[in-house]
Amino acid sequence: MSTFSGLSTALSSLNAQRQSLEVSGQNVANANTVGYTRQRADLTSVEPLAAASLFSGGLSTGSGVRVGGITRLGDIFLDARVRSETGSAAYAATRAETYARLESTIAEPTDRGVSHALTTFWAGWQDVGNSPNSDSARAVLLESATALADRISSGYAAVSTQWSQARTELTTALTEVNTTASGVAQLNEQIRGVLASGGSANELIDQRDVMITSLSRMVGANATHREDGTVDVMLAGNALVRGDEANAIEVRPGSADTLAESGKGVTLQWAGNGTPVGAGSGEVLALVSALAPAGDEGILAKAAASYDAIAATLVTQVNDIHKASFTTSGAPGGDVFGPTDPASAKDLHVALAGIADIAVAGGVDVTVDGVVTRRPKGTLDGSAADTMATLGASTTGPDADWSTFVVGLGVQSRSSTQRAAVTEATRATAEKLQLSTASVDIDEESVNMLAYQRAYEGAARVLTAIDEMLDTLINRTGVVGR
Amino acid sequence: MIGRVTQQTVQRSTLANLQTNLTRMSDLQNRLSGNKSITKPSDDPAGTASALALRSSLRQIDQQSRNIDDGLGWLTSADTALTTSLSTVGKARDLVIQGGNTGSLTPEAREALALEIEGLRDSLVSQANTTYLGRSVFAGTSSADRAVVAVTDATPRSYTTTNEPGATVERRVNADTTIRVDVDVTTAFGKDVPEHVGADGQTVPATSSVFATLDTIASLLRSPGGNPTDQLAALDGHRDAMLQQASGVGARHNQVLAAQSNAMAAKTELTAQLSGVEDADLAASIVELQMQEVAYQAALGATSRVLQPTLMDFLR
Repeated sequence: MSTFSGLSTALSSLNAQRQSLEVSGQNVANANTVGYTRQRADLTSVEPLAAASLFSGGLSTGSGVRVGGITRLGDIFLDARVRSETGSAAYAATRAETYARLESTIAEPTDRGVSHALTTFWAGWQDVGNSPNSDSARAVLLESATALADRISSGYAAVSTQWSQARTELTTALTEVNTTASGVAQLNEQIRGVLASGGSANELIDQRDVMITSLSRMVGANATHREDGTVDVMLAGNALVRGDEANAIEVRPGSADTLAESGKGVTLQWAGNGTPVGAGSGEVLALVSALAPAGDEGILAKAAASYDAIAATLVTQVNDIHKASFTTSGAPGGDVFGPTDPASAKDLHVALAGIADIAVAGGVDVTVDGVVTRRPKGTLDGSAADTMATLGASTTGPDADWSTFVVGLGVQSRSSTQRAAVTEATRATAEKLQLSTASVDIDEESVNMLAYQRAYEGAARVLTAIDEMLDTLINRTGVVGR
Repeated sequence: MIGRVTQQTVQRSTLANLQTNLTRMSDLQNRLSGNKSITKPSDDPAGTASALALRSSLRQIDQQSRNIDDGLGWLTSADTALTTSLSTVGKARDLVIQGGNTGSLTPEAREALALEIEGLRDSLVSQANTTYLGRSVFAGTSSADRAVVAVTDATPRSYTTTNEPGATVERRVNADTTIRVDVDVTTAFGKDVPEHVGADGQTVPATSSVFATLDTIASLLRSPGGNPTDQLAALDGHRDAMLQQASGVGARHNQVLAAQSNAMAAKTELTAQLSGVEDADLAASIVELQMQEVAYQAALGATSRVLQPTLMDFLR
């Protein structure tokens, strides 16, 4: 034990406390940084020097303290939980949002919806039936028929627009996924380098974790930690990022680009080898599920198919009755709505040329010389209009179809919103747990700083004490009798 | 797990709570300002189904009320025409009995009676041609503007009817019922058909309209020695036919009036139901909003306090 070893012990303490204080300073500085994980300087006492000497002996104290490393106080299990919940929550939220947007376009129950247009249309027939000779009643009926066709076709157009928007969102989201994945790969490379050279890569790891969570939100990816400090990001069993390599995903060529061809489906594949991307969660997969064909429960394609079915019911039932009726000139009625083969909501329009083509006279079979001919019951008969109007109350008519569609959409929208709320609550809980471990507590840091400051003062006091001892030894000894 | 609490977790949960409070406030304000508890189907899918059905029923009842008003117009016109016709026929009957006193009447007096009878006939023709909103109420579904057309250039005059045989004018008064609102001119005023062989091979006796009967009476009055009382039975037959139609019209009028009061009652009922399903409960919503405001203010107050002090404030 040398005379000055106490000084170096005190010095090691001064250094270690100062370094610890710096870590606390870093924590306080990043108290509000997103994704920052608090750090702590690991202080380790230094063992006494074991002199390789024959003459060494006796007890010796340790030789101070050193900073063994700067630990990042994160918890990879909590991180993994946050990622998995984030993927599910983003999936549910995107689906709920799709339903909500779809729901807002149908405008029910209001006076602007298809339901109102339908009842107005049926009522118009009764008015014409009451007074088949009234041009004004006919004009009103023709107007309400046009309004109904417009309402249905514009409803379909709104679904079509939403489909295209979702398709664009998907492309944008995939670009973001691929950019983020290459970002993670780059960070992996840097982190591996820093760790191999013995440095601290805590801040880089924080950045990488934020990016991985963002990937979880987009595609429901999860992470696997490797020994060299890199992280593999896995998506449905395949690596989105492996070490410093990122694999891109893309929309399979030949996928649908518009609602009209949505039957082809929209699928994702790995850009490298064309393997399909398996099931997952997150925003991207929610968009893919919303864009799916009607047969695969695609939200938007199913809504479009419902519009088509309603248009088909309307066109068939109304045209059939109208074609069995007669105009005031005695001619049989034509098509009220077109197109007829196949009926489509997209192009639904009124096929009547004018008010004179509206046929409301019922027919009656007349036998003349054994030949049965059908002729109108009377020029101003209105019985066919009454038959037409009763379609409105039919349980197999367009009104019933529409009501079923609206209520079905309402139920799905409600349940998807509730699901989104539940998964969001679970995600919030997971995030709160993660934050409670990883986030900076100013009070705690204050206490730590206090401790480091006091320890620093203590070490300085030790230094002073040793200094005074040496002063006594050097300046006050050997001066006896002087 | 007992969580470590940091400024950041407090901040997050406080923000989340504020957000939840604000969302509820916005929902309530939306409900109050729009006065609708269902603004989109997912607010209440079952309620939406009811609302759609109720709205459609209401619209149907509105239309049925319009049908009923129209039907009442037809029936009232027909009723007035038949009542007037009945009194006209009664007058004609008096004149016939007067004309039956063949011994005491001068030819001039008989001519005067004949002229009066012809006047009554014209009045009956005009009653038979009563119109409602441009349509002849006795002509049924025909587009002719007159139910009876007198052909005056032949002697005796002939009368043609323009209605479509068997076709009726009906109005829908409720979901299940339509009521006939016209009267067939041939059943009320008779039709001129000569004796002919029917489809079953039997001889069908000739029938005549009330107009033709009156013409016969007038010509009997004009011919010396002619006794118009021969035609009393025919005239009474026409009167009975008219009475029968008039009572039928009266019965249907009553039916339509009953349907009208039913429709009004149903409308009130449905409107109340729709309001119950669709409209916001104002009192409840306001109370809820008040409570929500208090909760929101409390949350705001708590937020301003929680994030203020740290240990820093007490270390010197």
